Amino acid sequence: MSIDLLFKIAAIGILVAVLYQVLVRAGREDQAMMTTLAGLVIVLTMVIKEISNLFDTVRTLFNL
Amino acid sequence: MEIIKIIGIGLIALIIIIMLKQYRPEYAIFISILTGILILFLVMDRLTGIINLIQSIEDKFSINTQFIALLIKITGIAFLSEFAVSICKDSGEAAIASKIELGSKIIIISMSIPIISSLLEIILKILP
Repeated sequence: MSIDLLFKIAAIGILVAVLYQVLVRAGREDQAMMTTLAGLVIVLTMVIKEISNLFDTVRTLFNL
Repeated sequence: MEIIKIIGIGLIALIIIIMLKQYRPEYAIFISILTGILILFLVMDRLTGIINLIQSIEDKFSINTQFIALLIKITGIAFLSEFAVSICKDSGEAAIASKIELGSKIIIISMSIPIISSLLEIILKILP
């Protein structure tokens, strides 16, 4: 839970953007869409893990 | 000292978001959510200190413990719903933000009914 998580997600985002352009130029639009979705799912799981972490902390803190 | 960390994280995330927004706008939202969580975790231990202080005051002056616990619960709900509302507004979804706000207001009002009712009882007792 530190700043390198931000850099990890930025790196994945840039990688997916570059891969998308390369694949589109190579004429494989469907695989480009697949890589975009895969990148999205990976980042989504990381973010959801952090959100659930936040909710647990707040629940124990405010004894909701 | 912590404030420098908070400002630094905020600015770094801002730069990353601006860079990512032109290629992949959905990653910008992920980064803004994560920055919010990161900053909240930075101030979390001070928040626990405040809440422990409130609870210790509550024991010392024997104020009605049920109300103080309810107040802390309501602050938690407001804390979380404000987190979600600001993210929704940031990404342009004002309608969802207002729905979340409406829901949290209703929950807070429904939780504070015992306080209101006990207040009315006290007032009725005072009146001749």
